Amino acid sequence: MSEPREPLRRIVVAGSGQVALLSAIALRRALPTTEVVLLAVAPQGPAFADFAATSLPFTASLHDRLGIDEERMIATAGASHRLSTRYFGWSSHDQRGVFAHGGWTGRAMRARFGRDWGGGPKIAGGERPAGSLAEVLTDAGRFALPPADRETPLSLIEYALRWNPPAYRTLLVERARQLGIGHVQAPIETIERDGAGGITGLNIQGQGWLEADLFVDCSGPAAVLASALPGFATVDWSTSLPTRRVFIAAGAEPMIALEDRITLLDEGWLIEQAGRDGLLTILGVGEGTSEQAAIAALGKDPVAVMPVSPGSVAEPWQGNVIALGDASAQFEPLANLNLDLAHRQLDLLLEMLPGREIEPLERAEYNRRAGLMMDRTRDLLAFHYATPRARRVFGEVEVPEAVQTALDQFVRRGRMPFHEESALLREEEMDLLGALGFERQMSPQEGASDPEGIEAGEAEFAALARRALEAAPPYAEWIAAVTQPS
Amino acid sequence: MDRPAPLKVVVLGGGTAGWMTAASLAKLLPDRASVDLIESEDIGIIGVGEATLPHIRGFVERLGIREAEFMKATHATYKLGIDFRDFGRIGESYIHPFGSFGEELAGVGFHHYWLELQRRGQAAPLGEYSLCVAAALANRFQPPSRDLSLSSTYGYAYQFDATLFGPFMREFGQSVGVTRHEGLVTNVERNGDTGDVTALVLKDGRRIEGDLFVDCSGFRSLLLGQELGEEWEDWSHWLPCDRAAAMPCTHATEDIRPYTTATAMPAGWRWQIPLQHRMGNGYVFSSAFLDEETACEAIRDAAEGEPLADPRVLRFRPGRRRRSWSHNVVGVGLASGFLEPLESTSIYLAQMAITYLIELFPEAGGIEPADRDAFNRLVDMEYDRVRDFLILHYHATTRDDSEFWNHVRTMRVPDSLSDKLQLWRETGRIEKYSDGLFFDASWIAVYVGQGWLPQRHDSRTGMVDPERLKAAADRLRREIASEVSRMPGHREYLERETSRLAEAS
Ligand SMILES: Cc1cc2nc3c(=O)[nH]c(=O)nc-3n(C[C@H](O)[C@H](O)[C@H](O)COP(=O)(O)OP(=O)(O)OC[C@H]3O[C@@H](n4cnc5c(N)ncnc54)[C@H](O)[C@@H]3O)c2cc1C
Repeated sequence: MSEPREPLRRIVVAGSGQVALLSAIALRRALPTTEVVLLAVAPQGPAFADFAATSLPFTASLHDRLGIDEERMIATAGASHRLSTRYFGWSSHDQRGVFAHGGWTGRAMRARFGRDWGGGPKIAGGERPAGSLAEVLTDAGRFALPPADRETPLSLIEYALRWNPPAYRTLLVERARQLGIGHVQAPIETIERDGAGGITGLNIQGQGWLEADLFVDCSGPAAVLASALPGFATVDWSTSLPTRRVFIAAGAEPMIALEDRITLLDEGWLIEQAGRDGLLTILGVGEGTSEQAAIAALGKDPVAVMPVSPGSVAEPWQGNVIALGDASAQFEPLANLNLDLAHRQLDLLLEMLPGREIEPLERAEYNRRAGLMMDRTRDLLAFHYATPRARRVFGEVEVPEAVQTALDQFVRRGRMPFHEESALLREEEMDLLGALGFERQMSPQEGASDPEGIEAGEAEFAALARRALEAAPPYAEWIAAVTQPS
Repeated sequence: MDRPAPLKVVVLGGGTAGWMTAASLAKLLPDRASVDLIESEDIGIIGVGEATLPHIRGFVERLGIREAEFMKATHATYKLGIDFRDFGRIGESYIHPFGSFGEELAGVGFHHYWLELQRRGQAAPLGEYSLCVAAALANRFQPPSRDLSLSSTYGYAYQFDATLFGPFMREFGQSVGVTRHEGLVTNVERNGDTGDVTALVLKDGRRIEGDLFVDCSGFRSLLLGQELGEEWEDWSHWLPCDRAAAMPCTHATEDIRPYTTATAMPAGWRWQIPLQHRMGNGYVFSSAFLDEETACEAIRDAAEGEPLADPRVLRFRPGRRRRSWSHNVVGVGLASGFLEPLESTSIYLAQMAITYLIELFPEAGGIEPADRDAFNRLVDMEYDRVRDFLILHYHATTRDDSEFWNHVRTMRVPDSLSDKLQLWRETGRIEKYSDGLFFDASWIAVYVGQGWLPQRHDSRTGMVDPERLKAAADRLRREIASEVSRMPGHREYLERETSRLAEAS
């Protein structure tokens, strides 16, 4: 007879950022009889996390499950929608491409792309036709959340949110308070290890002894709890990810757009992230770029400059301590993968929530899957630095084996090997490589698709695109309408 | 743009695997491949392999074949899963469905709630929470809906006559341009420098040249095994069955079951696969524990209908070639590996290899080692996943009534499997992957069906109000029962569309 596992009595979530708050909320909702204490350890200097204001579509579904209402995010946390990201200059100076959430639209469309943009002669500098509904809408600047009660072509759209970090934080704090999450704000004096690879409890300055069955370390790169454990080990990513410093500047003018941009300059890469509070610009540079050159490339005075030493924790779950978010992996904020990784790890933890007794094999299974997530995240970043121009800007770096294999298969065979636990769908991964300017061969099947089928597919897509455009108002108008105080 | 000349593909073997391969290449890569197929009436085909997995539907569809036409030609019936009898314990049975059990609630899988209900003595058998299982047991069938409702929670496959499927694919293959050669291959010519195969020579002296050779010669594995000597990875220590005594017979009942039955036997298990016009039967056994004659007697005794032929003994070895693609030879079907038909995976494995071969089909310049490696990795992953799942059926048992069961119950299983077993035992969780075959629901079906319950399940199940949990579970059962009652009988559904039925013979 199977017995329910004895529930965790108390969980301590260490950290004061948005990942800590969201984790505390998630755990509290999942375990109504468990005490959840948020231990707000003081942040150690500026961190990306403070500026992290966007992620990937997965977050929308997580938020939804955690009762973080998207309409409220729009109303009170400055949220706006991104459907795609434009890439400029990654393979050569004037190359451009689009990465759309959700990836390409249809098989027939893909066949045509294969023909026109992969196998066929390249139309130098020419405009390529939109390859997905997301791109059509981005080009037209039209979008609105689809109605909940019926299907429209807009229901097919995958989007990511961007938001205002302080306002989002306020929203999470309010939610945490409603849920009765305990809050302790004081430094940790000592960490008592339990001799089984984990932690028994913490001595908190002025508060005394705080023990728990499970500790979730969301304390950012310092990983204050995880790094105190005997089994703590890290994996260095810096040999394949050459960005060493990030410069951040913020604009004050609201910028409402369905796209963000990532441009490769001679100094490094530059992200331009639209937002209702203004344009956020982030420049990432390698060792070779001086501070002066970087600030000139950024075009503004930075509000923050941060070093990057990319890497991950070898096994994020040790004993009864789980490192989440930046505590488990740190890397540059390219391609919106940082919060996405944190959110997918949180989701994995919710799926695999242990009881009071933690079984070694469940830890191993968590670490296996979280490890796949982290490796693939590094690989998705590494694709960027494997482009011809990035190799000049950043210098030659070690290309991870999975990236070499994928690039070979993509370029020569028009396919993408499958990876478990990737942040992106396989279609999206192919889209990303396309946006970075890798040219793919047609796959054998695409090459053999009959012209009639392709034409029919194109016509179908054109009709769908028309209906989508009809269903979508200009996005700026829609945002203005839904944020109007009523 | 000049098109490169098509690659000359020679398929050796005209069994299920050979004709599936030839027809797919000719149909899906018409400009890239010219396809010749050699088969020998002297050798014939294995002629068993009647139960399939839902993936076969995609295969038939992609070739542009109409389901009704295909079912009629192969005397096919619908299949919702496999009924496993006497595996965990004599007298107990369960269905491994092409469908799910219940729905997850608040992020916790349904089976955790079922375990909790069971602990409280409030659970019905797990299968009653699966529409697929309930429909199968009621001998009912109708295709699933395409919305997100309860009636979309299952898939289906076919059970067909293997001796008719090959010829059907042959006819189709020839209609899309496959050139067929009848004759026995007696000699293989190879390039002295590269070792690649250059031509196959038939007994009558004909010589068939090619760029790429697909070895579908069955257990003989004439090219991959005999000629290239590709190493064989033997799995008989985990899967000791190496023989089958097959014997078709008439239907014993009016109803046609929409599922395959696998009944554990003292030295293996036997299958019953209902087709339109007859029942397939066979005893899969281990020659280390039972001799062939006794096995033939056993299948004669066990079969329910009138025998239509004498039992025929087939011999095999479980395992796979270390590399299924070597030089310019790709093995598909039995020539590349074999896993016993316990979960009807062979035709799927052939189909999977064909799909990957198309994806990685050589370009005009020749075969890239990277593509060959990619192919071999994918094939290995698929075989290994199936292997562990099959071993589970033998190992998760309390049977101690024969030497055979004592052996499989106590044997040391692969580490990859023992970790899965222990994780399940301790936490009720399933190792997760999304590529390959057999996901959560399949593992749960076998674990629970064979009485291999975990010791503990998710703590969150204890936090749901017991009354409400019970009410929700009961509601699901009622909805399933009512959905099943609206479905037509399997035979009725087959007969409703006469285009699916073969002429009575
Ligand atoms: C007992 C048993 C039960 C099974 N049940 C199932 C099932 O339920 N579901 C399932 O999916 N699979 C099942 N299988 C597997 C299935 O039968 C095979 O995967 C399928 O039939 C493919 O066989 P094949 O084409 O590879 O080989 P074969 O049918 O053996 O074909 C070999 C071909 O090669 C030709 N050939 C060989 N040597 C030469 C030569 N020298 N010259 C010319 N031609 C030659 C032969 O003439 C023949 O045409 C079962 C197998 C067994 C043994």
